[in-house]
Amino acid sequence: MRAYVEFAKKAFQNNIAYRADCVAGIINAIIMIFVNICVWKAIYEDEQAVDGVQFKMLITYVVLAFLMQCIYAMDEYRIENKVRSGSIGLDLLKPINFSGYIFSYNVGILIFRVVLQLTPALIISIILFKMLPPFSLTMFALFLVSMILGYLVLYCLNFIVWISSFWFYWTFSLVTIKDAAVMILSGALLPLWFMPQAMVDFINLTPFASIYYVPITIYLGQMPMEEIAFALLKQLIWVLGLFIVGRLLWRSALKKLVVQGG
Amino acid sequence: MKKKPLYSPIEIFVLLMKYAKLSIKSILEYKFDRVFITIAIFCREMISVVVMFLILTRFVRIKGWEYNQMFFLYSFLFLSYSVFVLFFAGMRDFDNMIYSGEFDRFLTRPLGLMYQIVASRIDLSAALGHGIVGIILFANTAFSVGIVWNAKNIFYYIVVLLTGAVIQASIFLFSACFSFWTYKVDNLRNMIFFNARRISGYPLSFYPGIIQKLLMFVVPFAFVNFFPAQYFLRKSDMSSYWNGFLYMTPVVAVIMFLLVYAFWKKGVSRYSSTGTAM
Repeated sequence: MRAYVEFAKKAFQNNIAYRADCVAGIINAIIMIFVNICVWKAIYEDEQAVDGVQFKMLITYVVLAFLMQCIYAMDEYRIENKVRSGSIGLDLLKPINFSGYIFSYNVGILIFRVVLQLTPALIISIILFKMLPPFSLTMFALFLVSMILGYLVLYCLNFIVWISSFWFYWTFSLVTIKDAAVMILSGALLPLWFMPQAMVDFINLTPFASIYYVPITIYLGQMPMEEIAFALLKQLIWVLGLFIVGRLLWRSALKKLVVQGG
Repeated sequence: MKKKPLYSPIEIFVLLMKYAKLSIKSILEYKFDRVFITIAIFCREMISVVVMFLILTRFVRIKGWEYNQMFFLYSFLFLSYSVFVLFFAGMRDFDNMIYSGEFDRFLTRPLGLMYQIVASRIDLSAALGHGIVGIILFANTAFSVGIVWNAKNIFYYIVVLLTGAVIQASIFLFSACFSFWTYKVDNLRNMIFFNARRISGYPLSFYPGIIQKLLMFVVPFAFVNFFPAQYFLRKSDMSSYWNGFLYMTPVVAVIMFLLVYAFWKKGVSRYSSTGTAM
């Protein structure tokens, strides 16, 4: 266990080296939130509801979605780089669990981003955009749980894509297509309540809504209590399901692995 | 004393074709990968289009902009970016040419440096990925927004598309100049460039003054899509801008390119290799 904590620490420290990028990331998130709010203002101008509760909720949705994008960012090409450079051979020799190592590395990045990106960006957002507070304390707690589950769903989904590098060597295309699907279907850019019913029905059959939409609607108090339990359970099932798929793929990937020189 | 050029224009052109042939060959070497990358880029670019589409199916029009007008405005961004990476991908990848030492090889050859940079790269995957999105949007909107496609309008369209590509190339070349002084600015550049592009997807008039000014005078995407589209559409929100802006795209492109080129020349004159030349 100690080793994994060290990996996370290492990832944290690695990221500190890129302080300028970190600050740029905060500014970028604030600008994108601002711009999106401008567009929504323009959209709602015709409907004369710019000052209503509904609009405030929408702003809060946009802020949360962008802040979550900040902390949900992972190191997409770590496994691919290791497979292509052959250094994965050495990693497999070490007495550690490789997937555990990748996970703790990403947790390190997550902690870094929560501390150094999310916290300042959140404070600025609260001041600038006047986002709504959580619906209630209970909802806030449930939001945190749901967000962690959302992170795990995304992580397990990502892991499956990353593992594909054992077969394809280059995963840029798959990662990009996966990102496109996540951005549209998870409600990261547009709340599901604006989408056509048929599309929502489809999304409900996929893990995507679990990533952004479910946590944010819980925060906003838009989901009735009895539905929350079900939604959380669904998130958990997706985590387990995707995790198992990832494990199976990992096993066959190891059989497939070819290292040239190492 | 004027130096006699080493090669005639015809030879230069033939050489350009040879470069193009080589690039295409290296692209076709990995057909499957390239097709896959093209699809990936297409999907990535469709994100914002799909989101806009979903918003417009729900809200029908925004501030008087109909959905086909919005997408016509958006199509400029994709088509001119496609032209940019087809012809000027070398300017986009210039910082990498310095890190990899490829630029050092250019210095040893008896040909113009800018020529070699531009000729050595064609990014077909990106050109197609963006281009297909652009063509889909254009084909669905260009004939339903009330444009008469006479010779004058077609000429204007082609000019703004090409000069819009030059504006984007200049932005990339400008940031690449910093690699002469070994500052790494590509992350910052990508963030500024691609977000400015995303912002320009919606009409300029949706944004507060400061963002409008930025898009007009700092990262001048307004001249890549908003003003050219306004030339055709003449929406009422054009009244708050100077009418001359409709014709400024080529001017902005030429001024930007000349300024950036001068800056780039200065960089070349004090360039010292990174020592990684092959």
